[in-house]
Amino acid sequence: MIGGADSSQPRSAALIDPKALMGIRDLELRARVVVEGFWNGLHRSPYHGFSVEFTEYRQYTPGDDPRYVDWRVFARSDRYCIKKFQDETNLRCHLLFDQSRSMSYGSTGYSKAQYAATLAATLAYFLHGQGDATGLLSFDEAVREYLPARHRAGHLRQLMLALEKPAGGRSTNLTDPIGRIASLVRKRGLMACISDFLAPLDRLESGLLALTACGHEVTVFQVLDPAELTLNFEQASLFEDMESARRVYIDPAPARSEYVSRIEAHCAAVRSICEKLGIGHHRVSTAQPLELALFEFLKERMRRGKWSLSGARNRP
Amino acid sequence: MNFLAPLFLIGALAVAAPIVFHLIRRTTRERTSFSSVMFLPPSLPRLTRRSRLEHLLLLLLRCLALGLLALGFARPFFRNSSPASGSGAQSRRVVVLVDVSASMRRNGLWDAARERAAEVLRSIGPGDEASLYLYSRKAAPLVSFEQWRAAPAGQRAALAIGRLAASAPGWEDDRLGDALITASEALADTDAEKKAPGPRQIFLISDLKAGSSLESLQSYDWPKNLELRVEPLKARYPTNAGLQLVAESPDADRLASPAVHVRVSNAANSAREQFQVGWGRAPTGDFIGPAIDLYVPPGQSRVVPVPLLPNAPDMRQVVLRGDDENFDNTAYVVPPARRQLSVLYFGSESAGDSHGPLFFLQRALPDDPRLSVKTDVRAPSAAVPPAGLREAKMYFVTDSLVPETALGLRAQMLAGKTVVFAPRSALAAGTLGLLLAVDGLALEDVQPRDYAMFGDIDFRHPVFAPFADPHFSDFTKIHVWKYRRWNAGAVPAARILARFDGGDPAFVEVPLGSGRLLVLLTGWNPDDSQLAVSSKFVPLVCSLLDFAGGLSGQTTQYQVGDPIPLGPAEGASEGTTITQPDGTTVSLAPGAASFGGALQPGIYVVSAGSRSFRVAVNVAASESRTEPLAPDELERYGAPGPRNPPDSARSELRQAALRAEEAEGLQKLWRWLLSATLAVLLVESALAGWTARRSGDTLPRGGTTT
Repeated sequence: MIGGADSSQPRSAALIDPKALMGIRDLELRARVVVEGFWNGLHRSPYHGFSVEFTEYRQYTPGDDPRYVDWRVFARSDRYCIKKFQDETNLRCHLLFDQSRSMSYGSTGYSKAQYAATLAATLAYFLHGQGDATGLLSFDEAVREYLPARHRAGHLRQLMLALEKPAGGRSTNLTDPIGRIASLVRKRGLMACISDFLAPLDRLESGLLALTACGHEVTVFQVLDPAELTLNFEQASLFEDMESARRVYIDPAPARSEYVSRIEAHCAAVRSICEKLGIGHHRVSTAQPLELALFEFLKERMRRGKWSLSGARNRP
Repeated sequence: MNFLAPLFLIGALAVAAPIVFHLIRRTTRERTSFSSVMFLPPSLPRLTRRSRLEHLLLLLLRCLALGLLALGFARPFFRNSSPASGSGAQSRRVVVLVDVSASMRRNGLWDAARERAAEVLRSIGPGDEASLYLYSRKAAPLVSFEQWRAAPAGQRAALAIGRLAASAPGWEDDRLGDALITASEALADTDAEKKAPGPRQIFLISDLKAGSSLESLQSYDWPKNLELRVEPLKARYPTNAGLQLVAESPDADRLASPAVHVRVSNAANSAREQFQVGWGRAPTGDFIGPAIDLYVPPGQSRVVPVPLLPNAPDMRQVVLRGDDENFDNTAYVVPPARRQLSVLYFGSESAGDSHGPLFFLQRALPDDPRLSVKTDVRAPSAAVPPAGLREAKMYFVTDSLVPETALGLRAQMLAGKTVVFAPRSALAAGTLGLLLAVDGLALEDVQPRDYAMFGDIDFRHPVFAPFADPHFSDFTKIHVWKYRRWNAGAVPAARILARFDGGDPAFVEVPLGSGRLLVLLTGWNPDDSQLAVSSKFVPLVCSLLDFAGGLSGQTTQYQVGDPIPLGPAEGASEGTTITQPDGTTVSLAPGAASFGGALQPGIYVVSAGSRSFRVAVNVAASESRTEPLAPDELERYGAPGPRNPPDSARSELRQAALRAEEAEGLQKLWRWLLSATLAVLLVESALAGWTARRSGDTLPRGGTTT
């Protein structure tokens, strides 16, 4: 249960170093470590009284659909109780996962793609643990793989396998995959887009607008390497674009300030688009512990009131 | 400084390589993969001052090494300091050989030849030597090397051109092979005067016709360093047909309808093939009487009889009409007169004795349209006065003579006559002794058991020379039944021309004065041998007659340039006068054997005392073959040098290249340059190593660190 001001920020000592985390080969285990650690920061015992089979009853009030009255309870207790179905309450979350080649860059010993996959797996694990249906759409310049949002045994494993596939695409095209998922997913739900957004933004706004217009709640995780943010190279060298293979001779020292201003302007542009559309934007550095990203996510959801952690709160 | 192989200097461009490598060194080869370069501002490479200085020194050393290497490979040399450069002043020696044969009389050829020769002569430098030769049958200098050298430097060409202008083509045939050899030897003669012979050239200015005689070049060994440059002249009109007399043959047809046979040959490149032949009037060449129309395709020839005209006494020339060139269109004709020759026969048999030697001799002596031999038979017992002996050309003696006659014959022999003595018995030994003026000379009749044969014949002797061919040299079928034995070896100067198979002399020649006695030691009559009835007899008699001088002097047709033999009798008696076709007369000293000045075609009249005869001199038939010589014909005979229009620049370049090679070989500057290259490379290596140690860095890439 999240409660108290002191518990709103996880203690840094409890956070797991991403470098150590990435040493774990299995993605699902990585996600579990993060989520359990996260819960560990929130609860004494995350396992106590928690059940994914939990069903809520509430008092019938006039206006409720009589179809949902639990007649067995009425027969036993002579009270009208409405059975609240699990489906009705659970979230449908789709993870939009960028697998373009630029995501395979990493200066910290692991790539952005690995970090992003762990983040996606963490979210999926966390949501699955709450009984939410989780789907996946991986993309580069086109949609690579699509797993519809489900909550059933083995689905999480399937999702983990899809996330573990290496980044194979060439370029990043945000617009088409977003438009594609808008047409694929009819039911409203949460769309968590995990990408570096290192692509022209000219049509990003229209794509995101298509999602929000469909009633989806959209959250954006912009995963960036620390080197991408600071250009912390020493030697001058030929910089080769991983997507276009274009080579540019760069002397980092004189170019750094201009680069930083450009990337910050780009990130600001992404953020402004998101704010304009009411989308949560999280810029995540791969040097940052994953729990922080998860925490940011939850905090934003709580702020918006979309997610109440009701299960956790009602837990004994 | 000059270079033997200047192309290697291009290798000096390789100094660009170190510069490029240094530039590459400046631009980093490090590559960094980055997620996206869209936000990266491209930057210019940085240079540190320190690295620039260090690298510049190394760069200079490396460039210097490469430059020195390229310079060494280009093989430089100094032309001025070369001791061999003195050979650059080598003078070339030139023989200008101009054709003046009869075919050069064609339209425009001589003018073209003079112009071409003038061009060549003017192109000869002041340091060069030249001579001008004219050639037809022989080559003779018009301006010799000595005259050229003797003339002032600026007037040499003018001297030669002036002399050439005063010359004109003759009528002789051209013997190009001999002329080239003469020119080559003239050049070789001047070699001896020089220590370092320079280039030698023969400029041949000729119409190069197919009729040129090149056979003598076949065995000629051309000297080295000789160049033949041919300046071919092209005739204005291609059509040319020639006219030649065909040798007369005594046949029945000719006697039935007397005619002169001429051959009309058309050159291979002629454009026309219709011609006319007929007797011509002396100065103008107009036809006398009817002309004969002829069709001769190019490259072919036709022999036609031109009938003698019954009522035209002045039939001296046959003329041809229908072609473009006139120089060979006239054939001068002297109808051969029938010569009368007298032979004295001393024998005792009667005229009708068909077994005696006379019977066979009379039938063997020639009697044809050109020669009629009259046999005067004298009884050997009757004395013949010397005046009676003098008219005869030759004498046959078969019996003993009275001493008067024998001494008279001896006198004739001493004067140059020939006596054939064929004794029918050994009793004639006295006469033989009188003829030879030898006392006690003995003959012995010999009758072999079966027969004797002729053997050991000296075929080198003019009498037997016609039988020298193995086809005709078999005398063994002639059986000799009886012969006379004579110890001819006892007579000094006697030459045994044939022996019997037993070793006894059969035919002996004893020279006496300017004449000779021929002793045949068997008779040709069937009682003695089968000689008269064999196939050898008639040729042998003719050979004897020819040996005695009876057949000579009959030729009346000569080519221009041929010596006209005057005959011993005519030349020896008194001075001979020759009237040439243009009316001039030439007097020859007594004793002259021949006249070599027949240099124009026409009828020559030879007058010697009371005797006079005419000979016709014509242009050689080869001069009529005016089609061009095959282009590779001279090359086939091994003639050196270019046969195309001259390219003197190329030759000079070759000479200059040879001189340069020699100078470079002496100086060998490339060795110093390569040594310098090695030294520079050592310094460069040392510097690079020192720099690397000092800076703790690696050596710059791309350098040559040997």
